[in-house]
Amino acid sequence: MATVTLRGIQKSFKDAEILRGIDLDIAEGEFVSLVGPSGCGKSTLLRIIAGLEGATAGEVLLDGVSVSGMRAADRNLSMVFQSYALYPHLTVAENIAVPLRMRRLNRWQRLPLVGGFMGGAAARSIAADVQRAAEMLEIGPLLDRRPGEMSGGQRQRVALARALVRDPAAFLLDEPLSNLDAKLRAHTRTEITELHRKLGATFIYVTHDQVEAMTMSDRIAVMMGGEILQCDTPAQIYADPCDLRVAEFVGSPRINVIPAEADKDGRISIPGCPLPLRHTGRATLRLALRPEALFLTESSAKLRGKVAHVENMGHEFVVQIAVPELPDCLVLRTSAQAVVGDAVGIGFDPGRALIFDAMGGRCRNVTAQVFA
Amino acid sequence: MTQILKHLVLLIGGFVVLAPFAVMLSYSLKSPSEIETGTGGLFGAQAPMLDTMCMARSQPDRAAMDAARAASPGQTDDAIMAQLEQGREAACTTRPAVFNYTKAFTEAPLLRYLLNGLIVTVSIFVIQVIVALPAAYALTKLRFWGRDAAFALVLFCLLIPVNAVALPLYLGLAKLGLTNSYAALVIPWTISAFGIFLMRQFFQSVPDDLVDAARMDGMGEFAIVWRVMLPTAIPALIAFAIFSITAHWNDYFWPRIVITGDRDLFTPPLGLREFQAGADGSLYGPMMATATIIVIPLIAAFLLAQRRFIEGIALSGMK
Repeated sequence: MATVTLRGIQKSFKDAEILRGIDLDIAEGEFVSLVGPSGCGKSTLLRIIAGLEGATAGEVLLDGVSVSGMRAADRNLSMVFQSYALYPHLTVAENIAVPLRMRRLNRWQRLPLVGGFMGGAAARSIAADVQRAAEMLEIGPLLDRRPGEMSGGQRQRVALARALVRDPAAFLLDEPLSNLDAKLRAHTRTEITELHRKLGATFIYVTHDQVEAMTMSDRIAVMMGGEILQCDTPAQIYADPCDLRVAEFVGSPRINVIPAEADKDGRISIPGCPLPLRHTGRATLRLALRPEALFLTESSAKLRGKVAHVENMGHEFVVQIAVPELPDCLVLRTSAQAVVGDAVGIGFDPGRALIFDAMGGRCRNVTAQVFA
Repeated sequence: MTQILKHLVLLIGGFVVLAPFAVMLSYSLKSPSEIETGTGGLFGAQAPMLDTMCMARSQPDRAAMDAARAASPGQTDDAIMAQLEQGREAACTTRPAVFNYTKAFTEAPLLRYLLNGLIVTVSIFVIQVIVALPAAYALTKLRFWGRDAAFALVLFCLLIPVNAVALPLYLGLAKLGLTNSYAALVIPWTISAFGIFLMRQFFQSVPDDLVDAARMDGMGEFAIVWRVMLPTAIPALIAFAIFSITAHWNDYFWPRIVITGDRDLFTPPLGLREFQAGADGSLYGPMMATATIIVIPLIAAFLLAQRRFIEGIALSGMK
């Protein structure tokens, strides 16, 4: 277990800048997700932490000690890959034993055939640790199989077992669930979280799936265009995003964005409806509202439109409403059945609206204002 | 209809390829007279034949005559002579197949040649793998300046025919005093551009994640080559082994150049020359028997490798 600290990490391939100065402090035992759309540099960042790739500038510190220039093998980090990357010619038990064999046995003991006679105590301790890891992930019966004879979920567990069989300073997970089907993914999510709780180790988890990030992490670092836009707890990221891109990326269904204007007195209005909100002066703004902040109403409707599409989720309905004044449909969650084609009114509490400026930055200087 | 046509073409191709083998096998079973007259069908009549060389060698001398006279006193010299002649003929009469195959082993030290062939081909293959695997690994999985240029050079080397560099190679080895040695047979072939090329193409299908996982597990680059890349590359290695071993087992050109005197260093194809036309005409039967014996290990090795080859493919479960 260790703290992981990133200081001004930059990476460029030829002319393309992949990472533009990443700073991040990860506490001991913390579960941090790096989340963002593909191509945002999150995997590159993880590989730099792992030591598989060198940074153009900046440094990685483990427990406060810089590991720049240190080989991946010497950093004592474990990694789980998206493709699991199990050795196809080794059985499950041998796969799990590899990191221990490379560390606990010397060159001669690792030799095929001859090595078997020289391992002795070290070999026994390895076998015991492999057994322990296998039990933790409930893959005991699979130990003699080869990766080719197992399902994706089973390989996933073997990859996890191989990562946790030694006590690494931190676990790095690179989209470990993306090759699993939806049901198994949800299940494995819980298991990884439990594993984290049990081990109390530092986890750095890369994913493009915001649901995974939200459900598993202590903190989420939302990355886009080679930068960390925001790094906060899942609740904070969801409720109080500091950038429109973060607000749009996190949450499903997607957050509703409504164009808004502030006049010279700073009064904010959306098309067809003034709001009791005040900005400091004239500005082009954007109002973002989570689907659960909107509700269907007849009496206090701020916007009116036609139901364009209804998705029955069982416990609720996700309704898309086309509002003539707005470029995109609004999405809201409701427990009441809605019928496609119905004209409906939409209301919301202006206090729950997140206001962003034209550049996508959060406007914190908006105050509620009661109409005189 | 097209199916029949395809099979017909394949059958003709198969016939063209197999016909020389059939002739070889057939000649290795026939007596010299059958070979010369073209009779005896595929397997020869296997009628007992008289080994003329055996007869020539066992011409009774004075000592034998004296011994025979002493053994059976009172008989005329002609009778004793006829008796001896009879015994000699009986001893020198064999079946053609037996004659050919025993000749193959007695006329020349064929076992020695086979052993030489084994030593040379195995040494070449092992060293080729030791060179080609790390080279191919570096050319696929490592990033360094000039990598593409290095690979282009490898491809270029594929275009150079052996015969073009034979003379400089020979001169170099001669200057080093290495002609007439195993080293001369092995060294020129240890770096195989084809091997590097083949392994590189195969390594490109090995996911980078596997290499990275090995690095995370604490392996150095050489450990990755031998512990991860080698086992995953077994099918490709077997394909390469088939090419390499057949080429060098059958090679006549190069051993003929560098092995000039010492018969103990002859490889099997050089051994075949022993049966070339001498004063008493070519010994086609024993020659073909030798050829058959030389070819058998290759065919056996190929059949074994073919089995492993398929197993190897079935084993690879990367994704």
